Amino acid sequence: MSVSPLSPHAPATTDRGPAERLLRCWFPVLALIVPLFAVAIVSDLAGSVMIQRTVTEALIRIVVVVGIYVFVGNTGVISFGSVTFMAIAAYATGWQTCCEALKPITMPGLPEFLRDHSYSLFPAALAAVALAALAAFVTGLVLMRMSGLAASISTLAVLFIVNVVYSNWDSVTMGTASMVGLPRYVTLWVALGAAVLAIVVAWLYQSSRFGLAVRATRADEVAAAACGVSLYRARLLAFTLSGALMGLGGVLTAHFLGTVSINSFFLKLTFIALAMLVVGGMGSLAGAVAGVVVTSVVIDVFRRLESGFSIAGANWSLPAGTQELVLAGVMLLILIYRKDGLMGGREFHWPSNRGKIAGT
Amino acid sequence: MTTQTLQTLEARDVHISFGGIRALSGVNMKLRRGVVFGLIGPNGAGKTTMVNVLSGFQRPTSGTVNLDGADASGIGPQKMARAGIGRSFQAARLFRDMTVEQNLMVAAFGAGLPAARAARAAHEILEWMGLAAAAGKRCDTLSYGDERRVSIARALALDPAFVLLDEPASGMNDAECDALMHTIAHLPARFGCGVLLIEHNMKVIMGVCDRVHVLDGGRSLAEGTPVEVQNDPTVRRAYLGEKAAPKSAALF
Repeated sequence: MSVSPLSPHAPATTDRGPAERLLRCWFPVLALIVPLFAVAIVSDLAGSVMIQRTVTEALIRIVVVVGIYVFVGNTGVISFGSVTFMAIAAYATGWQTCCEALKPITMPGLPEFLRDHSYSLFPAALAAVALAALAAFVTGLVLMRMSGLAASISTLAVLFIVNVVYSNWDSVTMGTASMVGLPRYVTLWVALGAAVLAIVVAWLYQSSRFGLAVRATRADEVAAAACGVSLYRARLLAFTLSGALMGLGGVLTAHFLGTVSINSFFLKLTFIALAMLVVGGMGSLAGAVAGVVVTSVVIDVFRRLESGFSIAGANWSLPAGTQELVLAGVMLLILIYRKDGLMGGREFHWPSNRGKIAGT
Repeated sequence: MTTQTLQTLEARDVHISFGGIRALSGVNMKLRRGVVFGLIGPNGAGKTTMVNVLSGFQRPTSGTVNLDGADASGIGPQKMARAGIGRSFQAARLFRDMTVEQNLMVAAFGAGLPAARAARAAHEILEWMGLAAAAGKRCDTLSYGDERRVSIARALALDPAFVLLDEPASGMNDAECDALMHTIAHLPARFGCGVLLIEHNMKVIMGVCDRVHVLDGGRSLAEGTPVEVQNDPTVRRAYLGEKAAPKSAALF
């Protein structure tokens, strides 16, 4: 995947060094990654354990929302089923890494290679992500033949199907009970690394010929077909890559919490993640990241205020539920005044290009 | 210069009916590389339908579309594009949130060009069409005339053996139109492709085309060189009516 020919380029009249061209080309990514690094460093040095957990959670959410964005943002088709692939990967990594002694009792239906063996964390994570990608590919083979709304609703069907299967497959998934005892290796820095990886992968994809093709179908399906773009293949690739990133999000969630339960990968997560994407603006990678950051800050601040604070010696606390109401209010305001989200479908660009090139 | 080997694009006895309404009835036409082929006819004659058939967007109810003689009916627009049939649309249909250059890159990649060659092809086409300065502009900021020209440039970026241009000059003023027709007349020499041109302005089409095909009510009325078509009595009748077509009348 070569990036440079598609990326924002300097006006032909000015001569620029390769270093500056590289910087210009990767600026939209750096503008997202560098602040994340800064936040991580500050919270690692100065933050309490609580703050570090909050930041880690937000970084994991970035992986998840970027994962959804890779499909939804690039194709323009809303997917309600993306968190399904988180669940698939979370269970897959759980089966490979958790509680070797308990597995034969709690999950006797697992195949022998999972029931009686444990695997090291990294290969397990890779295998889980690969399984999520494979699951996305296979469902995509069917779903991506449908157009706009039908495809969206059918992704919701996938969410329900997997939820029902995992909730009832007691001998393999422990039903609706939680699988516990997963190694908790997802620290602030692991989450940061994953978030950076997700952002870079999403950027490479959308800057590639495949990303360009799928964004063409988003803008005009008919014209894209006339340009030789296969709508089906372009969307299938986006869905598969999105599935892989969702899988990464699932693995991180599982090894951050140490537990996996199917109902944490259902409607609530689906809608909060989509809401984050909408708030930031689903047309750009910057929108996906900004949406997570803004909503995470709102959620965290008001959650703290709900649990109590003191002003001038007196203790105060906001009524429970304030956080949800404020979040809903913020979303409404953004949708009313900026219907394309905070970023309005644009990336951060090198200053001299501002306004000229965007939406890429 | 295109790398396509395709030499002819041919419609054989094409019929199209939309729920009882016959849009095309037994139309035959053959496009050759290096030739500008004009398609004229009054509103509703079936010209755009014909372009849709030739570019794979519309499957003939009966009859075939042939690429170098091989039946390609119903292979769909994407495969037609890959086979070397580029087209523009009456309503430009640019990818509005992308830059001009990116619009061309979509087509160049669609044709299967590797990145470096695609970028070079896009650059050369924009340069040739005088659009180089607009390369980095988002398409939703373009003027109407530029939109139309980018739409043609994008069709060319597909590295096509044939480009089908559906009223590329509609809505342009006379000067813009003249300039565009000059460009279109030179497409075969510059890109080695064949051109199908739909245009309402007869004067324009007679000046640019090597061959002209006249459609009326979904039927072929006549085909020939511009002069032959101008002098064809059936064409004169169709355009001017039976009585109003004395031999001396200047039709075009």
